[in-house]
Amino acid sequence: MAQQHGIIVLVDVNNALKERSLDGNAYWFDNMKFLGSTGEGTEKLTTIVPGAYFLDGSQATEQVLNWLPAALGSVPPTVPRNYLAEQARHTDQEALQGIAELAPADEAELGRIREQAGRRARRSHSSRSLVTSKVLDATGQVAGANAADTYNYPTPVITDITGPAVTEKIIYPAQYGSPDMTYDGWYWAATVDTSRPGVYAYTMHIQLHELVSRDDELVWEPVDLTCESYLKVITDPKRNAFTGAGLGVLPLPAFPPIS
Amino acid sequence: MPPRPKPTQPAARPLTITAVVDPVAALASGNLDENLYLYDTNRTVGSTGFGTPELRTRVRKGDVLLWNVIPLECETFVALADIDIDRRVADPVRKVYPGTDIVFFTATVKRDLTGPIGYRLSFLLGGVAEPFTPEASPLLVGPDTKES
Amino acid sequence: MKPKISIVVLVDAVGALSDRTLHDGNLSLVDDSPLGSRNLGTTDLVTAVVPGQVVQWTPIHVDVQTPVEIQNIEFLGAAPAPVPPPLAAPAAEEGAAVEPGYAAEPVYEADGPVLTLPDFPAAAEPWTGGPSALASNGFENHDLLVWEGIVPVTMVPGVPYRYRLSIKLHEGANSVLSIESPALLRV
Repeated sequence: MAQQHGIIVLVDVNNALKERSLDGNAYWFDNMKFLGSTGEGTEKLTTIVPGAYFLDGSQATEQVLNWLPAALGSVPPTVPRNYLAEQARHTDQEALQGIAELAPADEAELGRIREQAGRRARRSHSSRSLVTSKVLDATGQVAGANAADTYNYPTPVITDITGPAVTEKIIYPAQYGSPDMTYDGWYWAATVDTSRPGVYAYTMHIQLHELVSRDDELVWEPVDLTCESYLKVITDPKRNAFTGAGLGVLPLPAFPPIS
Repeated sequence: MPPRPKPTQPAARPLTITAVVDPVAALASGNLDENLYLYDTNRTVGSTGFGTPELRTRVRKGDVLLWNVIPLECETFVALADIDIDRRVADPVRKVYPGTDIVFFTATVKRDLTGPIGYRLSFLLGGVAEPFTPEASPLLVGPDTKES
Repeated sequence: MKPKISIVVLVDAVGALSDRTLHDGNLSLVDDSPLGSRNLGTTDLVTAVVPGQVVQWTPIHVDVQTPVEIQNIEFLGAAPAPVPPPLAAPAAEEGAAVEPGYAAEPVYEADGPVLTLPDFPAAAEPWTGGPSALASNGFENHDLLVWEGIVPVTMVPGVPYRYRLSIKLHEGANSVLSIESPALLRV
C-alpha cells in the first residue's frame, strides 16, 4: 500500500526574518527519495508522485501529500504544540506559589518572580499562528528580561498553497484537522490527480512571527513570505504480480507439500 | 525562607545544530549517513555543508551550542543519544524540554579554535536499543579557519 | 461461492525494521473467507479457499507515512524445486541471467537441430526472483504490483499450501523480511 507523502519545509526563521525572504532559508524534504524524489534537504526539492492506473485506465492509487513546516533553531515539532501552553500554565503556578510564600516588601524576590513568570506577548490581529501568548526560549524555558533576543520562533504557519500545480488542477490542497497533536491538529494536505504526468511547480505561502516591542509591549508580528517547490507526477499501469500481465492461476507447486 | 537561586537568563539565542533524520530509510538500509541532513543557524556567519552529515559549524569562544533532532516521519521515534567531542573544546550536557522526554544537548564553546574539530553524533532510531553513529563526522570550525 | 477472497497483510514497519522480524506482533494476517479460515490475526493464517476463487493479498501499514509493500509470494513445495538440467544454452554460457520464473526463449542454431529449454509452466513453478516492479522513472515501485490469482482445480483438498510471504519496507539491505507460516487450504 502506498504511503502518504510527508513534505517538510524547514525554515531558518532568524535569517528569513532578517532578509525578509525564504530564498536560501528554506530546506525541503520528503520521504520519497527511494521512489525518485530529488533535491532532498535543499532548496530545490522535486517530490515524486508515483501514480498507478488499472488496465481500464482508471486511477488505481490515490496519492496524498501532507505538508509540515518546521523552524530551524526552535523547539522541534516533535514537542507537542500544546506543550507551549502547558509550560506557560506551569510557570504561572510556580509564580503564584512564590507570591504566596513571599514576605511583604521583598522587592528582590518580586523581581525574581516576575522573571520566572516570563513576559507575555500580544498577538497581532492578522496573525494566523496558534502560539501561546507567553514567550518561551529555544530550550523551552520561559524567556525573561531578554525575551526579545532569545524567544523561541513559533513554528511557521502555511497560509496557502498556489501555483501551476493548483491552477492546472493537479493537486487539491486544503487545511485539515487531525487527531495528531504533534502538529496541533491542523495540517495542509492534498490529493493528486496522477493522470497527467509532468513536472508542476507550486508556491507555498508561509507566515513567520516576529516578536517586536511596541509601546513597551511585546507583540507578535506576522511576516508573510513565499517559496516554491515541485511535483513530478508519473503514472504506470498496475500489473499482476504472479503473471506480469493479467489475472492467472496461482503458482501452486505441482505436488502438495507435506504438512 | 532560604533565598532561591536566581535563574540564569540567556542573553541570546543558542547556536542551534539540527539533525534531520529519515529513520525508516536509515533502518531499512542500515545507512544513516545517506539519511542524515545537518543544519545550523550560523549560515550567514560562515557555516557550510548544509544538508550533509559533514556540517561545518562556524563557532567562537563563548557561543552556546544546542543540538536537536527533527524526524522526517513524525510518528517514528528518533532521539539524539550522545555527542562525542573533545571535552577541552566543549562539554555537551544532555537535557530535555521541560515537562517532556524529548532530548537536546547544550554546550558552551570553551576556546577559539585554530583548526576544525570533528565530533560524533549518535542517534536512537525506532525501537532499536543500540545507538546508530554515522560514518561521516560534522565539524566545529573557528572564526579564522580558512575554508579549503 | 464468494468470488474473491481478500487477505490483508497488516505490518508495523518501524517495529519490524527495529526488531528485524515480522514476528513478535509486527505482522498480522486476516481474510474475509466465509469457509472457516484459521489463526486470523496472526502470522499463521490458514485461508480456506475453493477452486475458481480469486485470492488477493493487500499490504496495509499501521503508520501511514511508512511504505509497506509485498516483495514476493512463493508457494513452498514438498521438496526443493527441481533444477533444470544444464543444457547447452548459449545464454547461460555467456553468463547472462535468465529471468527466473519465465520460460526461456527457444534457442536456434544454424544448420543444427532446434534446441529448446524445458518449458516450465509459469503457473506451476515457484517464483524465486520476483516480478518486475520497475516504474517509468527507473525506480522500483512495488505498489504497481497486484498480488492476486485464481485457485487452481489441481489443488489437493485438506492440505495446507504454505507460502513464503516477503515484505518490503522502504529499501536497502535490511528492507525485505519474510515469513513462511501462512497457507491456503482447499476445503
